[in-house]
Amino acid sequence: MDETLLVTQPRDVAAFDRLARTHHAKVRGLLLRLTRGDHARADDLAQETFLEAWRAIASFRGDSAFSTWLYRIAYSRFLMQARKRKEDPLAEDWDGAVPSTAPASDARIDLERAMAKLSAPERASLTLCFALGLSNTEAAEALDMPLGTLKSHVLRGREKLKSLLGDQP
Amino acid sequence: MKDDALDALLAAPLPEPALGLFTAELMERIAQEQARPARIFAWIMVGILFVIVAAACVFGALVTTRIGGDRITLALALTALTLVLSGAVFQVSRA
Repeated sequence: MDETLLVTQPRDVAAFDRLARTHHAKVRGLLLRLTRGDHARADDLAQETFLEAWRAIASFRGDSAFSTWLYRIAYSRFLMQARKRKEDPLAEDWDGAVPSTAPASDARIDLERAMAKLSAPERASLTLCFALGLSNTEAAEALDMPLGTLKSHVLRGREKLKSLLGDQP
Repeated sequence: MKDDALDALLAAPLPEPALGLFTAELMERIAQEQARPARIFAWIMVGILFVIVAAACVFGALVTTRIGGDRITLALALTALTLVLSGAVFQVSRA
């Protein structure tokens, strides 16, 4: 309902505020995965994402879900920032420490550690398709990549995770 | 790890961060964003008025030299005009 309102009244601040509240957790969750648990960076990127969405809201036609559109902005913001920081989004086998989050199970902590070792497209693909419940088509649209490429990222990411988590003591 | 267990782990909801000041900060940035065109317009007005006042000063100086008028009166009049225009621009930029 709010999403329809944005199409008809793209400068409705109150409607945008409600949408930001609704989608904040999921967008930040995706960015937290992409930044390998860097909370401050994920917060900054989430702010940038919603601000960019506000600037470009007139171009949102409601062809895709608002959330898919937001994830697309979030991912492109992350890639832009990574380029500025001279980071390689395709880098794997990252060996930094993943900051601990709120109380989490051992399995969850292990998953986040293993996830940090995947490339950014793999982390994004797995997060969108599993944790955020997007279909493969929606995830491919959000990540601006062909469907086949997305599927291969999901498959390779799952295999790597299985291998990494299988190695856990 | 088995496929089912991995899928269940991957499908677990992401941690819900507290909303905190997130939307308040976002709305503040949006308000700044909305005020930007007015600020840009105000600065353009400042530029235009500066050029007008400078042109008026040059014109006044030329006329005074030609007709031999009271230079102090003219300088005071131009200064007053500058102050009035600056005040008007300041009000516009605050609006």
